[in-house]
Amino acid sequence: MRRFFGVTVLAAVCLAFAGALMITVWHISGTQAPVDLPGLLVENLEASGVEHPITAVLLNFRSYDTLLEIGVLVIAGIAGISMAKTTSLEDPLLRTSDSLLYALQRWFVPLMLVLAGYLLWAGSDRPGGAFQAGAVLAASGVMMRLGGIPMEFLRPGVLLRLGLALGFSVFLLVAVASALAGDAFLAYPEAFNKPLILVIETVLTFSIAMVLLALFVSAPVNGAEEPEEGERG
Amino acid sequence: MTLWLMAGLLFTPLAWAVLTLLLDFSKGRVVTWLGILVQVLVSLGLWAAVASDGGFLYLLGGWQAPLGIELRVDGLAVTFVLLTALVAAACGWHASIYLDPGKPWHRYFWPLFWFLWAGLNAVWLGGDLFNLYVGLELISLAAVGLVALGGQADALRAAIRYLMAALLGSLAYLLGVALIYGQFGTLSLAGVTELINSGDVQSGLTFPLILMLLGLALKTALFPMHGWLPPAHGIAKSPVSALLSALVVKASFYIAARLWLDLGGDLGGYALAQLIGVLGSLAVIWGSWLAFRQAKLKQVVAYSSVAQIGYLFLLFPLTWGVTDAISQQAQQGITLQVVSHALAKAAMFLAAGNLIMSVGSNRVDALAGVSRFLPFSLFSFGLAGVSLMGLPPTGGFAAKWLLLQASLASGQWWWLGVLLAGGLLSAAYVFRVYRASFIEATDTDQFYHPSRSLEVIPMILALMSLGLGLVAEPVLSVMSLPFEGASQ
Repeated sequence: MRRFFGVTVLAAVCLAFAGALMITVWHISGTQAPVDLPGLLVENLEASGVEHPITAVLLNFRSYDTLLEIGVLVIAGIAGISMAKTTSLEDPLLRTSDSLLYALQRWFVPLMLVLAGYLLWAGSDRPGGAFQAGAVLAASGVMMRLGGIPMEFLRPGVLLRLGLALGFSVFLLVAVASALAGDAFLAYPEAFNKPLILVIETVLTFSIAMVLLALFVSAPVNGAEEPEEGERG
Repeated sequence: MTLWLMAGLLFTPLAWAVLTLLLDFSKGRVVTWLGILVQVLVSLGLWAAVASDGGFLYLLGGWQAPLGIELRVDGLAVTFVLLTALVAAACGWHASIYLDPGKPWHRYFWPLFWFLWAGLNAVWLGGDLFNLYVGLELISLAAVGLVALGGQADALRAAIRYLMAALLGSLAYLLGVALIYGQFGTLSLAGVTELINSGDVQSGLTFPLILMLLGLALKTALFPMHGWLPPAHGIAKSPVSALLSALVVKASFYIAARLWLDLGGDLGGYALAQLIGVLGSLAVIWGSWLAFRQAKLKQVVAYSSVAQIGYLFLLFPLTWGVTDAISQQAQQGITLQVVSHALAKAAMFLAAGNLIMSVGSNRVDALAGVSRFLPFSLFSFGLAGVSLMGLPPTGGFAAKWLLLQASLASGQWWWLGVLLAGGLLSAAYVFRVYRASFIEATDTDQFYHPSRSLEVIPMILALMSLGLGLVAEPVLSVMSLPFEGASQ
């Protein structure tokens, strides 16, 4: 009886939420937005250094958001590796010796690396860019790991941390350099728009892949524990 | 000059996060001390600049809103920037002595600490709805990482629960932002406010506002959505608990308050304002009562946060449909409450950490006899408690006095009972801790003495919270500086 009551209340809340959302969306779709942001974007695309509006928004007009978002990814990576207490993030038990996987991998990994490079470059004038390329790069890393290819750089040592931080640091350096040059934080000099965005995108791809891969391979594994304050551990 | 200060303010925490990620705990500690010094000086400089010349808009990347992101550097924002600098400096300093450098996972404390600081500054200065969301994410994830540091099962459980609540809150907020963007075509808060004030407000926009407020209230742990807070704040290391209670929950409240003050007048309503006020009042009563009942010392302090956060939500009824003078009074009262609670609660958690370290147990009744061995830490705990109770001359008293006047002037006398009962109940849980510590234990004499600087830090914070009532006037005058909006 109580359970039935609970489910009914939950369903009613969900229905009310969906209803209110639908009414609001219906209402919004019927009115014209007073500010034409897409139009404004097209007008300013020329000055941004890239031809694709999404890349222009992510890396120029709203680059501050992107910088902080990369920060969020780095935090996720840090939180992940802070819980792995093994000296090596590679667990021999997880390796497979599947010959089919091994054969497929020889075909797929090079292809996926090329695909990642393509996605990165495509970002300048069509959908693509650092996030997509980084995801593909991380996926090939996952495959390499499952296939047992040794990846020594994934030890939680300074190399891994450098890899995590590289993209963010380069982005930040560009931001600060522009502030030191006398413009605002993150204002790229007009002439260097395109090369700067390209450099940032490339290192971001690498770091995004590192974060995703580090999260995949670092599961909390073992023993050494931190007792709560005041509890004997 | 202000450009340099702004670049310093935005750049230092992010750069220090990267630097400390590459170092181990002990080296990171030295680097952090330097960073804290820079950050405190920059915050002081910016506060002084705004106090003398007034607020300004800072255009990131040189692009104006709505295309780019604008930071709104006004009196209220710099007040919170300065508060963050003071409290985070104290917590960072405390953590650098308190945390054990021998444990390998503590090296990740510093990068998370700096990212948290960066996120807080991003929220105080944010003038763009989506940018505020990114700032919130930065704060939440860094905070969850700090709670989970070490990865013990209970800490992980609390951290995952915290993460789920924080993500749910963020998503509700984001959905509201998406709806607002769909309606107005801009993400700039100032732009949206202008469009609404210019006349044609459509009905049906109350839902996005409610969604955003709901999400933010969940992240601020408003009653009855407070279940995630005590486990997370209780189990984290004391400097982390201090950061979480003093600053992190205030960030989501700050956004909710800004939304309400800008949009609430048109999109909100009397019933909504009163409902939020009632939930806040219930939080004060229920949180204080639970704080009184807790067996563990840090849980007492954590539930006390649930109660103190409740007061903040009185802002909503006290600023809706009242005259500007009353609204201003209520805003000043709430700001003082935020500042004094941040200082007092940080002091309380740090002192509680010292007490736990000294007696080797986290239970309230284990404190027996500690009054003779650690009077200094216990005194800091009590001074902070005096501010929470709202006795003169503390900041807590000044805040409650302003809220009391605003309630009477707006004819909403029913909040008076909450203000009075809350003070009495907080006295009850503070004195309960004191009672336990004054009992003379017969046999145990095994107290560990924390280093002198660990004891000095909470004392400084508690004294600041105590003295806030005396310097409330200059603090409030900068906070309520008119904003001209000249861009730089």
